[in-house]
Formats: sequence, C-alpha cells, structure tokens
Amino acid sequence: MGGTSETISSTFIEYAIFIVLLPMLAFPIILFLGHIFNGNQTWVKSAKEGGLIALPIMVASFVLSMLLISEFIGKGTGGHHIGDWLSFGWMSADGLKIEGKAFGVGIYIDHITVMLLFVASFLCMLINIFSIGYMNTDPVNDNRNHRFYAEFVLFCSGMLGMVLADSFLWLFIFWELMGLCSYLLIGFYYEKPSAAYAAKKAFLTTRVGDVFLVIGLVMLWNLFDSLDYAVVFNEDLIAAVDPGQLQLALGMMFIGAVGKSAQFPLHVWLPDAMEGPTPVSALIHAATMVNAGLYLVARMFPFFGAEAMHGELVDLAFIIAVIGGITAVMAAAIAFVQDDLKKVLAYSTMSQLAYIFTGLGAALWLANSLDWHHDSKAHDIVVVAFGAALFHLFNHAMAKGMLFMASGSVIHEMHHAHHDLHHHDDHGDHGDDHHDDHHDDHFDAQSMENMGGLASKMPITATAMLVGSASIMGLPLIGGFWSKEGIIANTWRVALDDPRFFLPAACVLLGAAMTGFYMSRMWFKTFAGKPKTEVAAKVHEHTPWIPIPLVTLTFVSLSSVILAGMMFTHWAGEPDGGYAFFSKKGMLKGLIYEFEHVFVNSDPFFFILTYVAIFIGAIVGPGMAMALYGGSLEDGEKAKPWMQPIINLSSRVNAKRGFDNSAWANSGLSNALKERLYFDKWYDAAMLKLVAGFANISAAFDRNVVDGTIKTIESTSQKLSTQVRRLTTGSARDYIMMAALGVLVIYLLLEVMI
Amino acid sequence: MSTENDFDMDMIETLGPEFTVFVGLLLIMVVPNLGNGTFRIPGTPIRLPWFLGGTRFKAVASPRLPGLLAVLTMALALFQVVWYLLDATPADGQDIMAGGVFIFKVNMFSRIFEAIFFAALLLAAIASLDRLPIGSQKSDDIDVLFNNRRQADFYILMLTSALGMSVVALAQDMFVLFVGLELASFSTYILVAFHKESRAGSEGGAKYFIVGSVASAVGLYGLSMLYLWAGSLQFHELAAHWEAQGATSLSMMALGFVLVGFAFKISAAPFHFAAPDAYSGANSPVAGVLATASKAMGMLGLMRVLLIITVPEATADGSAIWIGLLGILAAVTMTWGNIAALGSENPKRMLAYSSVAHAGYMLAALTAIGAWNWGLVDNAGVAMDVVVAALLFHMFVLVFFKLGAFLVLGVLEMEGGASRLSSLAGLGKREPLLAVAMFLFMISLAGVPPMAGFLSKLLVIMGIVEVATGTGSLSSIGDAHWVWWLALLMVINSAISMFYYLRIGVVMYFHEPEEGRKGPLASGASIRIAIALCAIGTVAFGLVGGELIDLCRDAAESLR
Repeated sequence: MGGTSETISSTFIEYAIFIVLLPMLAFPIILFLGHIFNGNQTWVKSAKEGGLIALPIMVASFVLSMLLISEFIGKGTGGHHIGDWLSFGWMSADGLKIEGKAFGVGIYIDHITVMLLFVASFLCMLINIFSIGYMNTDPVNDNRNHRFYAEFVLFCSGMLGMVLADSFLWLFIFWELMGLCSYLLIGFYYEKPSAAYAAKKAFLTTRVGDVFLVIGLVMLWNLFDSLDYAVVFNEDLIAAVDPGQLQLALGMMFIGAVGKSAQFPLHVWLPDAMEGPTPVSALIHAATMVNAGLYLVARMFPFFGAEAMHGELVDLAFIIAVIGGITAVMAAAIAFVQDDLKKVLAYSTMSQLAYIFTGLGAALWLANSLDWHHDSKAHDIVVVAFGAALFHLFNHAMAKGMLFMASGSVIHEMHHAHHDLHHHDDHGDHGDDHHDDHHDDHFDAQSMENMGGLASKMPITATAMLVGSASIMGLPLIGGFWSKEGIIANTWRVALDDPRFFLPAACVLLGAAMTGFYMSRMWFKTFAGKPKTEVAAKVHEHTPWIPIPLVTLTFVSLSSVILAGMMFTHWAGEPDGGYAFFSKKGMLKGLIYEFEHVFVNSDPFFFILTYVAIFIGAIVGPGMAMALYGGSLEDGEKAKPWMQPIINLSSRVNAKRGFDNSAWANSGLSNALKERLYFDKWYDAAMLKLVAGFANISAAFDRNVVDGTIKTIESTSQKLSTQVRRLTTGSARDYIMMAALGVLVIYLLLEVMI
Repeated sequence: MSTENDFDMDMIETLGPEFTVFVGLLLIMVVPNLGNGTFRIPGTPIRLPWFLGGTRFKAVASPRLPGLLAVLTMALALFQVVWYLLDATPADGQDIMAGGVFIFKVNMFSRIFEAIFFAALLLAAIASLDRLPIGSQKSDDIDVLFNNRRQADFYILMLTSALGMSVVALAQDMFVLFVGLELASFSTYILVAFHKESRAGSEGGAKYFIVGSVASAVGLYGLSMLYLWAGSLQFHELAAHWEAQGATSLSMMALGFVLVGFAFKISAAPFHFAAPDAYSGANSPVAGVLATASKAMGMLGLMRVLLIITVPEATADGSAIWIGLLGILAAVTMTWGNIAALGSENPKRMLAYSSVAHAGYMLAALTAIGAWNWGLVDNAGVAMDVVVAALLFHMFVLVFFKLGAFLVLGVLEMEGGASRLSSLAGLGKREPLLAVAMFLFMISLAGVPPMAGFLSKLLVIMGIVEVATGTGSLSSIGDAHWVWWLALLMVINSAISMFYYLRIGVVMYFHEPEEGRKGPLASGASIRIAIALCAIGTVAFGLVGGELIDLCRDAAESLR
C-alpha cells in the first residue's frame, strides 16, 4: 500500500485525488437532496436546484487543480510525477511491489496532464456558472435541474479523473463514465423522441469505438503485462516489444479515440448530440469529452518517440493524420449549409478536432522518423509540432466552449423574446400552459434564419462570438491563429518528406478557407443585417450569470498571444521538460521569436505557406461570407465600436460583391451536404440490412432451436411428471403394493450382492 | 466417557433437555385442568381441595396456555441442547445404562439431531399459535369451543413426538430406538389427521397411518430377525456380531427389512407414496415438521444401522456391502421426486415431492459414506467425517427453508387453503415481505448462492466427489468410485428442480391474485415471527455457515 514509483516531489499531488473525488461525492448528494426537496422554494431559489451546490465543488476542484499546476510549473523541470494512493500488487518476498503486476489508484502528472487539467477544471467551473443562468431560468427545466447538476458533476469527475489517471485502465474507466454521463445528458429531455434517439445514437456509436479501444488495451496489456503509464512508457520495455503488434494495439486504441472525438467515420453522433441542453453541448461536446480522444492519442507520444520504434509506426501516424484531414474538410463542408446555430458549431467542433488529429499525426510522424534524441534541430521540430497540436486543443476548447455558451445565450434570449411576444396579451392564464409553450409551437429558436441584427441587442454575446469565431478561424494574432499555423506548417513539413501526407496537408489548408467561410457566415447571419423575424427584433440580453463566463473566456481567447509568447508550444510539446514555462528568453523575447517564426520565416517555403494560409483563412473565406450574408443593422441601431466597422465592411462587400448563390444552394452537392452526405442514411440502411438481418436470424434461431429444445425438454418432462404422479393413485392399497414391490426389489438386490 | 446407572440427579442433569420436554408434557396435561375441584373423603362429608376439575381458575383457563407452554418447553429444551453443543468436544459422551444394558448415549452426534428436532418443533409450535384458530372465550359457538378444547391435544402431541424423536437420537439399542420411533410416528399420524373435519386431513392421516404401519411392521420384522441372528439388539453387540460373522442370508434380509422401515420415514421412493397425501392433508406447520424433523429422524435411524452396525464389514474394494442398494435407492428417489414435483399444481404436494428429492440427496451422501474405506481414500475417517458433516449441515439448514416454505403456505391456509399454485398468485403485491421470504426459501431449496441451501448442497456434492476421487491423483474420471455419478445426478436433478422452485416466484410476482384473495392476508404475528426466523436462518447460515459446519464436523467425529 502507498509508496511511490518515483518520489513525490509535490505537496499538492497528495490532495489531487480530491479534484476527482469532490465532484463524484457531490453527485449523490445533489441527486438525493433534489429528490427530497423537489419544488421546495429554498431549494429552488437559494440552492438553484443544486447549481449552487455544484458550483463551490467545481471551484474547489479548480483551485486544487491550479495549486497542483502552479506547483508543477513552478518546479520548472517538466517531466512527470506519479502519486500513488493505493496499490494492490503481488508482493514479492522482500515486500516490494513487482512492477507491472500491480493494480493501483494514482495520478500521473506531466505537461499534457497539466494543460488538459487546466482546460477541464476551468471550463467545468465556467460552464457551471453559465448553467445556473441558462437552466434555472427556463421553466421547462423546473423541478428537474437537480438531475442536470448531478449528472454534470459526475461528468466533471469523469473528465478530471481521466486526465489525472496514471494508467490506461483508469483512463478507460473514466472514459466510460463520461460516456455514460454524455448519454444521460443528451437525453436530458428524454420525453422528446429526438433527444432519446440522439442519446442512444451517441452512446451506441461511441460504443463501436470503445470496443476497439478495449481490444487495443488488452493487446497492450499482452505486450507489457501492465497498463500503467510508468511501465508502458518505459523505453527499455518499449524496446522489447514487437513494433508490428504495438502498432496494431495503438491503432485499435485510435479507433476508440475516433469514436469519442467524433471523427470520420464515427462522426454521426455529434450533430445529434446537440439535442442536449446547451451547457451540455458546450461542456461535453465541445470543450472536454470530445478532447478525450485527442488526449488518448497525445498519450501515445512516448511510443512514437521511443528510439527503439524509430520509423516503425509511421503508418499509424499517417492514418491518424489522414482521418483528421478527411474529417476536417467533410465537416467544414457540411457546416456550410446548416441553419441551426448549434449544428454549425457541432460541425465546426468536428472539423477543428480533425485539425488537431492531423497535427498530432504529423507530430507523431516526425517523432517517429526524425532522430530527435540526438539532433537538437530535429528535437525542436518535433517539440513544436507536438506542442502546436496541443496548443490548438487548448485554444479550441476555450473558444468553442465560449461559442457554445454564446449560442446558448442567443437561443435563450430568442426563446424569451418569442415567449414575451406571443404571450404578452393573455396575462390572465399564465399558469400551467406557461410551462408548455416552449415546445409546442413551431418557432425554431435555434435557426439562424430567424435571427439577424443581434449585434446591437446582445453586445456581450456578439463580442464573445466574434472573438471565438476569430480564434477558430485563426485570424492573425487571435487565439487559434498561433496553433493553427503550426499545424498547417508541420503537416506540410511532413508532406515534403512523405508524399502520402499531401492529402492531409491539402485538406488542412483547404479547411482553413472553409473554416473562415462558415464561421463568418454564422456570425453575419446571426448578428449582422436586419432582423429576419419580429422575434429577433425584440431580443435583449438580461439573463444573469450568463455574461460572466462569456467575458472571462473572451479575455482568455484574446490573451492566447501571451501564452504563445510564453513559449506554450515548446513547453507543452517537450516530453522531458527542457523548457520552463516562463522561459529564460522572457516574455518579450518570446513574443518576438514567435512573430519572427510565423511572419518572417527564414525558410521560403514556410514563409509562403504562412501567408497563403492567412490569406485564404482570413480574407477569402470571410470575404465570401460577407458577400453573401453581410448587411448593415436596422436604422438607428448601433453596435459597439469594435463590431461596427466589421458590420459596415460586410454591408459594403455585400453591396459591391454580392452574388446570387441560389444555383449553388439548390445544387445536388448542397442537398447532399444538407443530408450530411447521407452518412446517417447509409448507416441506418447498413444497420437495418446487416445488423437487423443478423438479429432476425439469431432471434429465429433462438426461438426455434434454443427455445424449441428447452420447450421440448420442458413438455417432455411435464408429460413424464404426469405419468409419474399418476402412480400416486390416492389409494392406500396401491401404496402398500408399491412398498411391497420395493421390499421385493431390495430383497433381490441384497441376494445379488451377497 | 462416563456411565450413569442410577436414576438420580446426575442422570437428570445429563438428560436435561429430555426431562424438560417430559415436564412440559406433564404441565400441558395438568395445568389447563387446574380448578377449584375438591375430593370428598369417602364416607365423610369432608371435602379436600385437590385443584383438579371443577371451575377452572381464570389464570389457566386461557386456550392459549397449552401453546405457550409448548413453545416455552421447546425453547428451553433447544436452549439446553445448543448450550451442550457449544460446550462439548467430540470426545465427550455419556452412556446411560439400565441393568447392564446400554440405553442412551449423550454425545454431540445425538445432540445435534436433537437440535434439529427441537428447532423444527419450536418453529412449528410458534407458527401453530396462529395457525390453529382460537376463538373468543365468551363465544358459545360450538366450533369455537371445540377448537379451544383441542388446543391442549395438539401441543401434547407435539411434545410427545419431540420426546419420541429425542429417544431415537439417544438410543443405543435397536429396540429403544424403535419405541422412540413409534412414539414419534404415532404422534405425527394424529397430528396429520388433526383437522378431522376436513376430508383431506382425515384421509391423508389415515393413509399415512396405514402405510406407515406396514413399514413399521416390516421394520419390526427385520428387527426380530436381527435379534434372532445376534441374540441382542444392542448396537455394540450387533456391530461386534457383524464383524465376527459378516453378511449372512439372515442378517442381510434383516438389514433390508429394517431399511424399509426407515425408508418410509425419510419418504424414499417407492415408500414415499403416502407422503404427498399426508403433507397436503396436514396443517402446514405439521407438514413442515414431517418434512424436516421426521425425515431427520429416519435418516438418523439409517445412519445408526448402516454406519455403526454394518460398516465394519467391507466388500473386496473396501466399500460397504449395502452401497449398491443404497445408491440405486438414492438415484431413483431423487429423480422420481423431482420429476413428480415438476408438474405438481398443489404447492404442498410440490414441496412433498421436493422433500422426496432431498431424501434422495441425503441417501446419495450416505452412499458415499459407504465408500469410505475403498482403495483411493487415504485417511478414511476424515473423508467420512466430511460427508457426515455435510449431511448433518444439510438436515440442519433444511429446517429453516423447508419448514419456512410450509409456514408461508400456512399463512395462506389461514385465509382458506393453499392447495393450488394460484393461491400464491399476487403474493408479491399483497404482502411483499412474505413473498420475499418465500422466494428466499425457494432459491435456497433450489440451491442458489448465497443461501444456506446452496452451501449444504455444495458440501454434500463436494463430500461425495472427495470420497469418490480420493486423495490420490486420478488419471481419468473413469477411475473414480462410481458414487461420483451420484454427485453428477444430483447436479442434473438440481437443474431440473430449478424449474418448479422458480415457478413459485413467477406466480407470486407476475400473476394476478385469485378472485376473493385481493385484500391483505390474514393477520398473525407469531407465524410471521417464525417465518422471519426461518428466513434469517436461511440467509445467515448461507453467508456465515462456518461455525455450524465446524459443529457438524465435531458431531460427525463423535460418531466414530
């Protein structure tokens, strides 16, 4: 029991388990209290039906996480620390744990953990704040918010646990816990058939990936006799395994990641998952859970980076990159035609995650094929490539979490405006039907076709959305720009060495332009132009709690440049902790270095590539969107000074360069995109034909052969039973006769025996 | 080992539980009759009060008194027996002699059987407090009056059967054993027919009596032959004679006939036919006693005869001479019981057949003991102890779930009968706790972990396999002793029995109650207390049976 496989060099690592345990304990508490006090005024008003129980817990988790993170960074050494709380192992004679055979509970902290821990705990806390504003002011949720908060904290516990886990086994356990919570929360409005269907779809689709993940883990166990990071990341042990088998095992695990992160071809569940409440979309399906797949792939870095595996795992790296590339373009294309605000964001999420996969694939390829252990230049390349992917993960999580919350804010206020507009005159019966009117009419509060011109009416939301979109698009200097450039550059760098990589490399470049288009389209359709419905004209921002996370995340996204200056990519990508977070170069020098690196790259190829990417992502894409969807606000309405120029520009572009895209909009491609490229139909058909067909056959087999056999046995023995019982005639005479017969038989048997 | 010859305080102390039952018996006879009756000295006008008859004292006039006295007596006796068991070691033992003849022997083996008997009778007596209706004392209704008068009869019979059973447990002489057996049997014959107003009751009782008498007569015939052969019915003399003379025609015939007498008691096929009639005609608590205590008594007799008297004789391969006969009896009995139970629509008959099946399991265990000395078994004594202990454990825990199941049916009888499977319908909704208890009993009978029934069946099967395979290493299962096949047959039979046990669960939880049985069940706290005790025993001995198994091991050791 206890003990460490490395010395605990940290104070807060001892308390790190509470980061996971606190939310887990809050789960039953909120659930039971909610059950007991359901409808109680104090419970609703003061405790926000559990929201204000969950919040302190999440704050505590966040504070503990920050203490742990600051200590880790403060040490400045990087590397990893392991804390064990419990380990059950086969004890050898001298009482020491035999490594690799133990089953324990512990945490593993390195740069990847630290980064994702910050993302998860920070966003969990902010989205909790957002939820209190969003969920508790919607009457449709009355008296069941405790269920939301209970499942919310359980999910947070799963995410934090997965990040902190010290073995692939615990990673998997928490991974599944998240899957369960995702299912429960997507189906939060289980009375809606579409929500119930979406929950099932999400659960079953990710289950496909998880089966492969389990297979992969079993194979990994077979190779290493353990799933502990401390064991499987050991270079000597990695050197001892067969590369082919390792690649197969990792490939299987990657399929699990594909399912969890909604990548092609297991991507179909994510858009439907938007049936869940918006905070759920923000937390689970944008900012945290979908990153689990990326985290899993990032965790594989030591295998790719091992010297013994040099050049052996490049195929898997290529597969990772190409899956990412395909998904990036495909999802972005589908996002072009979506009118539902949340669906656009869902496809955007898919596309951006795909970017990160491509970046990871490229980084893993580099790590696997460059001699980065000895060559310091190669070392830099690998570290920056890996760091760029992780940095993009960070930027995307922050921006997408914010975008979803902002979209939630829009939807929420649209609802309220619609409600006020249509039920203002009949104040008399504000009783019970008040509850129902949210879902019984046909007004779609999520459709961008019903919005427009909201920039002046919802300034905070519009600003957040603007910054978020800019970060996702990678507009220069904002948020995702710093990481996206890195991903594109490194994918192309690999493509120069390995021609197979031209496909993903072309995909990410094309994707940049597409991202620029659909994100701008979303913003302009929603916030610029004239209101398209009278509801949109009445919208105003007034729900408490919601602006807090929006404002916070707006600043975080904007300050990404500071992180870049702090050499985030070098720090995050460095497996051995060569860089301190506040590197010796200093902030200013760091910034200058980054600027030089990005804008005036000494290598002409990358110099050109950078400007091509900036050009198509920041000018071509948004320009097209402006031409199609731009427009000035209603007369007399004025947006905030930082948004007004953009709206004015869009209206000018629209006036000058506007063109008719109805031919495009009605084309076959557009329809195919609206039908999500028919994936869902194909899958449904495949399910019906193959799975249901097989199920029918096995059901028939079960009915006729298995049940038939059992039933035959049953009816035969019943008949036998009737015959046997018929001997019990009820007449004592017969009984005595049978007894006499028995005596005779006994006598004969004894005679035989003597 | 000490010997008591004189009837004195020491002997009373040694036979404490038996004297307790005896005193309780006298009290039930006397106390309800206490009154202000007087006795006139003949020829004088002087009347001396002698407290019997006349107007009965108010304190003793309650019709509940005999029942309470019986419960108290049985509880006290059980307490003493358990006290002895917890205190004793396998080496302890006291002989009671009269005129140079061994009458009784008190040791752990006999005491653990007494514990089984007394526990079953105590639970049945507690349950009968409710099951046997007592009317208001003020009522002039002839039936009520009648029932109130019969209370004493019922509990007197219970105590006499307790006394008879304990005599069987202690006996060291075949004749004493036979007397005890008949005392217990006659009491149960009457108890079965106690509801003489009902057709099923009197018919079942009569059949049970007739077939039982025939079996007893055959057994007695066998005893007379044994006496003819050995010149004594003392166990030790019979054993010595068997060792000296071995199996002869006469002794083997005697053995076969004695076997029949006991086979009826344990309702082994084909001597079981009266049992289903008797169980379904009798009061449920009485039926429960028949299925547990009475069966244990028959088993005890068999063990005495087969293990003590005849085991020293061994066939060529080292197993007992009767082993083939008993093996066939076991196989037929367990299969017959289970198949007959499969289609039975009357839950009491179903339980009766299930108890036939359980008799088969016990006989299988006994058969395995017969193979105690065969080639492969290294330390014969220990292997034998294991099986005997398993058998004792099985009989002990059977009291809880078999009797408990009958008691649940007893609750249903209180509202008008439990002779159809549909009587149980909807019990899950009508009284959930009762249904849960019944379900526990059923799965315990079927042998589902973690119930006591699972543990006991497991121990028996493991014991048989251990004896059959021995400690030597077997190259194939074909080399094992053939009693191994009995273990396999037990497993198959258990699988068959699952069907009818679980069907009770289906009926209780998924079927709608019968017409007129929708409301709550008849009230009655005592019978529910007895059921609760049974349920607790069923679960507790399944989870923590270790102590009891150790006790059974010690008892088994004291048999040698």
